[in-house]
Amino acid sequence: MIEAVSLTKIYNQQKPNQVLAVTDANLSAPNGAITVLVGPSGCGKTTLMSMIGLLLTPTKGKVIIDEEVVTSYSDNWKAIFRRKNMGFVFQHINLFPHLKALENVMIPLLCHDMDPAKFKDQALSLLERLGLAERALFNVEQLSGGQQQRVAVARALITEPKIIIADEPLTFIDQESAKAIIDFFNELRSEGKTILISTHSYNLAKLADRIYSMKDGAIVGETEKEGARLFNIYIK
Amino acid sequence: MKGRHMNLLSYALNCIYRYKVRTVVILVCLVTSAAVFSSVAFLKDGLVKEGELSLKYAPDITVQQIWAGRPTLIETSYVGYIQEMAGTISVIPRIWGYANVGNILLVIMGIDIDNMFFDPKETFPMEEGSFLSPETPNSVVLGKAVADILGVRVGNTLTILTESVTPIQYQVVGIFNSEANIYNADMILMNIDDARLFFEIPENLATDIAVYVWDPQLVNNVARDIGELQNLRVVTKDIILKAQETTYGARSGFFSVLWYIVLISVAITAFNQTVVVGHESKFEVGLLKALGFSTSDIIEIRLMESAILGVIAGSFGITFGIIYDRVFNAPIFRDFMLGWVTLYPNFTLPIHISASTIFLIYVITILPLLFATVIPSWINATVDPDIAMRGARA
Repeated sequence: MIEAVSLTKIYNQQKPNQVLAVTDANLSAPNGAITVLVGPSGCGKTTLMSMIGLLLTPTKGKVIIDEEVVTSYSDNWKAIFRRKNMGFVFQHINLFPHLKALENVMIPLLCHDMDPAKFKDQALSLLERLGLAERALFNVEQLSGGQQQRVAVARALITEPKIIIADEPLTFIDQESAKAIIDFFNELRSEGKTILISTHSYNLAKLADRIYSMKDGAIVGETEKEGARLFNIYIK
Repeated sequence: MKGRHMNLLSYALNCIYRYKVRTVVILVCLVTSAAVFSSVAFLKDGLVKEGELSLKYAPDITVQQIWAGRPTLIETSYVGYIQEMAGTISVIPRIWGYANVGNILLVIMGIDIDNMFFDPKETFPMEEGSFLSPETPNSVVLGKAVADILGVRVGNTLTILTESVTPIQYQVVGIFNSEANIYNADMILMNIDDARLFFEIPENLATDIAVYVWDPQLVNNVARDIGELQNLRVVTKDIILKAQETTYGARSGFFSVLWYIVLISVAITAFNQTVVVGHESKFEVGLLKALGFSTSDIIEIRLMESAILGVIAGSFGITFGIIYDRVFNAPIFRDFMLGWVTLYPNFTLPIHISASTIFLIYVITILPLLFATVIPSWINATVDPDIAMRGARA
């Protein structure tokens, strides 16, 4: 279970250009479920996701994962926690452009005490599941945006993390890739992964076991299973 | 843990390959500066070493007569007086000076073969021929450079004009074998009587007096006692050695300064690449941290990158420095370090390659690069990954 307790992020605090990005956000994402964050652009979804993923230090509040207050630990501890437990899919995809698709997938293994070569088959298997088996040895620059995002999804899963954090993963991609990723997230949930997604996509939000809606940096709504309806209301 | 370090090493190698322009710029600058420094350092070490070798059999004390503040011939009557001082074991008058042979200024040294304190055959190994003997007057042994320049070999006859422009013929009986020995390369060695005749120095005078002391710790005492005699200048072996070290050290120091300037430029370039134009690098650090790399992992990668570049540059620099000295005989630096290049254009420079100098070159080649690349990466790595990635993207 991931719990966000009163998470607040203020950029440039006590400066003229101070920005209140997220205010007092409370959220809980059950294990083995898909939790979705929805809201308009600039409402603070990415900032909240980053704080939950330990990529950004909150100004206030805490993140509790499986009853452990993970935000209270050192930078190094958080890095090791991410290494062992989390996989990220970013809105801007964020692959290494100079590497092949397969190499990108295997990058997170480099900071583990293991031989990445032994995980090559696993990486290929992930790419195959995402429909990219034949593109494994392509440079990422030769792939479409959708294919690149599918590579990023495979990268997030190569270390078999129990938590997947996906920040607007479908923003810049085509329908075919979006469908592949949505189906894949569905499979991951059935495998017991805890998945946290921010999205504008109705199809992706339909998967949600729980939905939170955000507006102006605050969580303004929460629902379970009825998320699709709430999302429908929101996008109208 | 070994596996993780190997993985980080492979990533560091990938970075070196990926940032080609930065790698090439840093390597070119570092190799150049390391080559210059290596060449000068090996040359300086070689000259100092050569000086030490030449002084191995040099007298512990050399005594000169001073007249009107300038060195002049010394009376041999001092020999007996000095010999009575406590601590001396051998006091020998020497005749030596300079002479023009074929427009080249050479040293003519006369030695008293019968009263040598050491075995000259061991001290001066021969490439060709034999050493001087008291039975063969008007014979000479030549330094390698002299023989090469004059084009004479053992068995040839050499004609040299004396002080009174009288030609005297000498039989070449041997040639020293140490090509690199700058202290006998330009020397013509002969019996002391022949030298006395050549320089037209009377029996009661000598160029200087060589004093050997049985205990090195007594050298200063003996020197002080001799110095109490009026109008004598006393030079100990240590003073000569220190003078050599100071001279070559100062000259090589000049190049060291130039080398540091180049090295600082490299460091600034590397720093600039990492910080100012390093948005890609900043983003990379943020992303790696998001993927689970810790700050220490990032620093380790940059350390490895810098160390690899430094070792490559240092190795090539040292190699080029040796080639420059050995194969090309160090043009430019040779003029500066020796100061008498016009004398022996074909003279082979002595270079000395020591482990300590090589270690020093590696250390000071790698360290500035480490600071220039690791510090910015450390700064990037200590901010939140989200901030690093957003900042780089902005």
